[in-house]
Amino acid sequence: MTGAVAVVGLDCAFATATGVDAYWDLLMRGGDAIGPLPRRRWQGPGFDGRVQGGFLADPDVFDHAFFSVPPREAAAMDPQQRLLLQSAWRALEDSGRAPGTLAGSDTGVFVGTMSSEWAQLHMGNYARVSPQLGSGSATGMAANRISYHLDLKGPSLAVDTACSSSLVAVHLAVASLLSGECDTVLAAGANLVLTPALGLVYRQMGLAAPDGRCKPFSADADGIVRSDGVGVVVLRRLADALADKQRVYAVIKGTAVNQDGRSNGVTAPSRWSQREVIAAAYRRAGVTPDQVRFIEAHGTGTVLGDIIECAALGEVHAVPREQPCAIGSVKGNLGHTEGAAGIAGLIKVALALHHRIVPASRFATRENPRLKLAERGLRLLKSPLRLEAGPSVAAVSSFGMGGTNAHAVLASAPRVRRAPVRRGGAASGGVFTVSADTPGGLRRNLLTHADAVARRPRGDAAALCWSSNRVKTGLTYRAAFTVRDTGELAAALRTAAADERLAEGVADRAWRPPVIGFLFTGQGVQEPGMSAGLYGTSPLYRSHLDAVDAALSGELGISIKELILSGSTDVHRTLWAQPALFAVQYALAGTLGELGVAPDVVIGHSLGEIAAATVAGALSLTDAARLVAARGRCMDELPAGGGMLAVGAAASELAALLTDAPGVVVAAVNGPADTVVSGPRDALDALARRLAGQGVRARHLHVSHAFHSPLMAPALDRFTDAAARLTYRAPEVPVASTRYGRLLADEPMDAAYFRDQAVEPVLFADAFAAMIADLAPTALVEIGPRPQLLTLAARAELPDGVPLIHPAPGTAATVRDLAEALAVLYRSGLEPRWDGLYPPEQRRHERLVPYQFSTDSRFWRSPAQPSTAPHEQDAPPAADATAAREDPASGTQAAEGSAGSGDTARSPVLDAVIEAVVEVGKYPPEQVTAVTRFYEDLGFDSVMIMQLKDRIENRLPQADGITVPQLLPELRSVGTLAAFLGEWISVGAAT
Amino acid sequence: MTATPFYIAGTGAALPGQPVDNAALGKAFGISEEWIDLFVGTRTRHFAWDLATGEPTHTLSDLAAEAAAHALAAAGLDAQDLDFAILTTATPDQLLPSTVNDVADRLGIDHLATYQLQAGCVGAVQALDVSRSLLAAGHRAGLVLAGDVTARFMDARRNAVSLPTEELVNYVLFGDGAGAAVVTDEALDDAVRVCGLIHRFVGLGRAPGQIVDWNGPVRRAPHRQMLREDYKAIEDHVPAMAAEILWELLDTTGWSREDVQFLLPPQLSGRMTARITAHLGVPEMREVSCVADTGNTGNALPLLQLDRLVPHLAHGERAVTITVESSKWIKGGLALEKAVPSGLAAAGDAEGEPSP
Repeated sequence: MTGAVAVVGLDCAFATATGVDAYWDLLMRGGDAIGPLPRRRWQGPGFDGRVQGGFLADPDVFDHAFFSVPPREAAAMDPQQRLLLQSAWRALEDSGRAPGTLAGSDTGVFVGTMSSEWAQLHMGNYARVSPQLGSGSATGMAANRISYHLDLKGPSLAVDTACSSSLVAVHLAVASLLSGECDTVLAAGANLVLTPALGLVYRQMGLAAPDGRCKPFSADADGIVRSDGVGVVVLRRLADALADKQRVYAVIKGTAVNQDGRSNGVTAPSRWSQREVIAAAYRRAGVTPDQVRFIEAHGTGTVLGDIIECAALGEVHAVPREQPCAIGSVKGNLGHTEGAAGIAGLIKVALALHHRIVPASRFATRENPRLKLAERGLRLLKSPLRLEAGPSVAAVSSFGMGGTNAHAVLASAPRVRRAPVRRGGAASGGVFTVSADTPGGLRRNLLTHADAVARRPRGDAAALCWSSNRVKTGLTYRAAFTVRDTGELAAALRTAAADERLAEGVADRAWRPPVIGFLFTGQGVQEPGMSAGLYGTSPLYRSHLDAVDAALSGELGISIKELILSGSTDVHRTLWAQPALFAVQYALAGTLGELGVAPDVVIGHSLGEIAAATVAGALSLTDAARLVAARGRCMDELPAGGGMLAVGAAASELAALLTDAPGVVVAAVNGPADTVVSGPRDALDALARRLAGQGVRARHLHVSHAFHSPLMAPALDRFTDAAARLTYRAPEVPVASTRYGRLLADEPMDAAYFRDQAVEPVLFADAFAAMIADLAPTALVEIGPRPQLLTLAARAELPDGVPLIHPAPGTAATVRDLAEALAVLYRSGLEPRWDGLYPPEQRRHERLVPYQFSTDSRFWRSPAQPSTAPHEQDAPPAADATAAREDPASGTQAAEGSAGSGDTARSPVLDAVIEAVVEVGKYPPEQVTAVTRFYEDLGFDSVMIMQLKDRIENRLPQADGITVPQLLPELRSVGTLAAFLGEWISVGAAT
Repeated sequence: MTATPFYIAGTGAALPGQPVDNAALGKAFGISEEWIDLFVGTRTRHFAWDLATGEPTHTLSDLAAEAAAHALAAAGLDAQDLDFAILTTATPDQLLPSTVNDVADRLGIDHLATYQLQAGCVGAVQALDVSRSLLAAGHRAGLVLAGDVTARFMDARRNAVSLPTEELVNYVLFGDGAGAAVVTDEALDDAVRVCGLIHRFVGLGRAPGQIVDWNGPVRRAPHRQMLREDYKAIEDHVPAMAAEILWELLDTTGWSREDVQFLLPPQLSGRMTARITAHLGVPEMREVSCVADTGNTGNALPLLQLDRLVPHLAHGERAVTITVESSKWIKGGLALEKAVPSGLAAAGDAEGEPSP
């Protein structure tokens, strides 16, 4: 059915129950969430500890830094907005996607909320209004905030239909999805009790329960009690959710909204309208009343409300049916969460269908006989109802005080049998990823995952890893673990969380995508059976080596793959060594490419330049196969007797010795004390003896010929003929040429290039240095069967923290080494395409614990006393500002310090800028340093920029006259702004 | 025998830690490695406790939950799909709560029927027998778990050479482990159909062949043998009973011996299993055994064998499981057939919606 919408993600917080699991537990044990009004919200007699309700314990806690919300702004924001932001993030994670991946998408946000009592408290004092309070108190911002901070570009609106707000929001969200307006939608509800006003209204209307308990459908029902709540659901069209293999909690089959119209008073419920909205929803859903197994009723527990609702339900459901339709209401547990009531009911129904059990309705045991439930085809749930295996249909009602009614019909998720896991012995495992916004956040989340994983049955960690790759990525501080089973994973998570470096606030930090250099090794590293371990364990590598083997077989007349894997020493013969090495390199690069690892620059040592050029796009695979086959063949046909010698000395130091060594030339300059010479074997032997006499390290290389020497000349004509028949293109990726010892400019990599590079010395050291200087790679990956160039790289001058990565370090290396390489690159900031690491049946969503936000910062403000204080001193009340907080800045400083970019000396201008920034956002002073970025780290907006300009001018009168357009481009980091201002002032002083 | 067909949709196994070979076992208990090799024929086993300290490393519920997770993954089902769970064991973690309920908690499932059967080597067959009734009564899917752990009964500090032979033999026979099977009333792809099932007590008047005792805080006899095996009686009776089970399975299913490709014989020890298999005289059937690698894992054995069988069983192929519980003598047997794909319930094919 095309009109079906899947519930794919959930998050919520209600009194005594933070999170979906706690909510479900509350429901299943028939828990009572009602308690006294927390002291912080007291406002004097009548609104104090005697007030009962369902109150969130910590609505003031908010991880403002995670969302880059300045403390001043956080303190001014309606806590409903803050709770919704965090809940939206977690719900999206629960839907199996990293929230960041939705940035820029048409995702819609529909939030039901009845009011902003925050605004009532704070916007009435005109002397204290501020831009932050303005945006912080606007109802629509409850939705718009989510769209802004997650960069969601679909419709974004708040819905207010009183108590039915959030189910009406669901109705609109479903319609938006089904109309094609967006592909993902968040529907939400929020409610926070901050003022006594509505409670007084309820009391005057006779709707307030004296005992502070909602008792739906009970003989004791005598009114409602007000409660907090926030809930978010992520919805998708069912077909999309199934195609993306998302977990489906339940399916929304149809929704309806209507109005009482001119009923018996604007606040009186209408039995006729309730009946009609249910019937309309059933029609849309294509279900008949006898099919509906249970209904989460509105169930306010007011005498009149219960009677009217049951009468309306009876008119629909009193049909011939096998068993009565069960009813219940979560209001017995939570009280009335008003704007969040509809979403509370919807989440309950979705969870009930998911778990195949409907919780009992609290206070059901003293069922009100006047409701005549039995004769109306209804049954109040006095105990949990276990749903039969197979599909069930359920529904949820929510009615607004002003007469706007909503109803939604849900059904069990279609039973999708997962692809059965075929076991081939050991667990396959994968890479488990975690990311957070600060080192402290990383530690916090590592611990939570460790606990959750430890509770699971031991087993293969592959599906968990894959799920973490989908969900727990994208943030700045990262951890990644290559593991096989859950036992290993739990231990790794715990060890990492206990890591001293994390405690010190230092962690792997990924600022930006890494700049990756691929290093292609030259002849000499080939060995029998190279990459056999990877071939045996990675289907991905297998497919790539098979493909390159097919391309080469026509040229070689044999399967080079079989020669390699057979373990034959023939692989050392130049005829086979060159194509064999090319095959392994090309297959490795292809494997990495499919995993999302593409080079930003390539460098190839000697023969390695062919694979490097091919990967850079200069040659097609077919032509590369021809080229490397011809090169190997021509060189192999040369008479033996040549060789190569690796010498631990500089090329210049060898010059004198070489004059006495006939035919011996410098073949490669690998480093300041790494030189390879090439020539006749007897001359090399003599040279080696002389070097030994001088105490200089020298070693014969495993080669059959004197490569890169004039002895190659006889082979060149035929090689050049073959090379000339091929097509060469300009490389698409920068190439550090070891032929020229620098980055390739416009020179072609063509037949002449490959002829010359075969006889000329390999200028690796220069090419490598040029690559480091010009492209500043942040990660180096060697493409070859074992590490060799990485050893040279480690001896070269590299910036700190550039990981040297080998995806296949040796013949025995397996897919686990490949995974580890990917893990290192992920920690360096890459977002790999992980799928290729996992067999298809392991690519399934396992539920992971939601992100654990920092609870260190609290923002609250009591209603302001009338104040005449001027605006400038209107800091948030002292008690309301941040308490203890983790320090995101320390990691920043450590990481940036090593990168050397932020060590601007403190200057008076910088100090002034920092002071001004701290004041504008009320940031903790230690959070603002020269490297702090305005938008990413501080969450600056246009209002704050204007305020910053004023404050800077106050402190630096010399900067007067700077315009905002001049400032804007300089607002990258605090340091860049200070540098600009310093320059402006000095120029101003000079003129 | 099975009027209502039912199916094994997935199997799983869990063996704790690394295998312990005879050299390590011999060294730990002062037993001759050569004797174990020659007369017991078991090469390795796993223990849910540390051989050096005797400290438990895994509980039965750990192992059963691990096996259950494998079985669910192999079946392609979620824990929420289960209507019941049955655990059979001789060595529960505690007498109460029943270990099966700890396992359910670990798996995150609630509000389902759970059973625990105090049982031995036939336990898994007994649980499948109960499953058959539950599925016939309208349940759709359930979990059968079976396993044992020896930590409570084998004393790492004891020099076993000083033990009487009927107790000592247990030290070299047993291992720890758990197996699991997901049973369904419908033939999911690649399911194994249970075509025949024997489960019968035959111990009237016979002395127990195996005793596993238990203790409380009072009336504790200082040198009571907690484990005792009458290996002579077992050698005498089991081969003959195994043959009876084989032929009864063939008779009741109407299969001829040529119709059966695999034989899952009783798993007492490497040597005994070889003798029993030879006695059965059906060399054309491929034997699927585990005892030489896992030791005698008691309740887990038939499910560990099944877990080894499943990857090799082609569509339409058949297998028989034979098991004898020598404690008070119970016969157990299964006749199994890999269901031919029915074309319905194809994995991952979920175009439709639930039709209410």
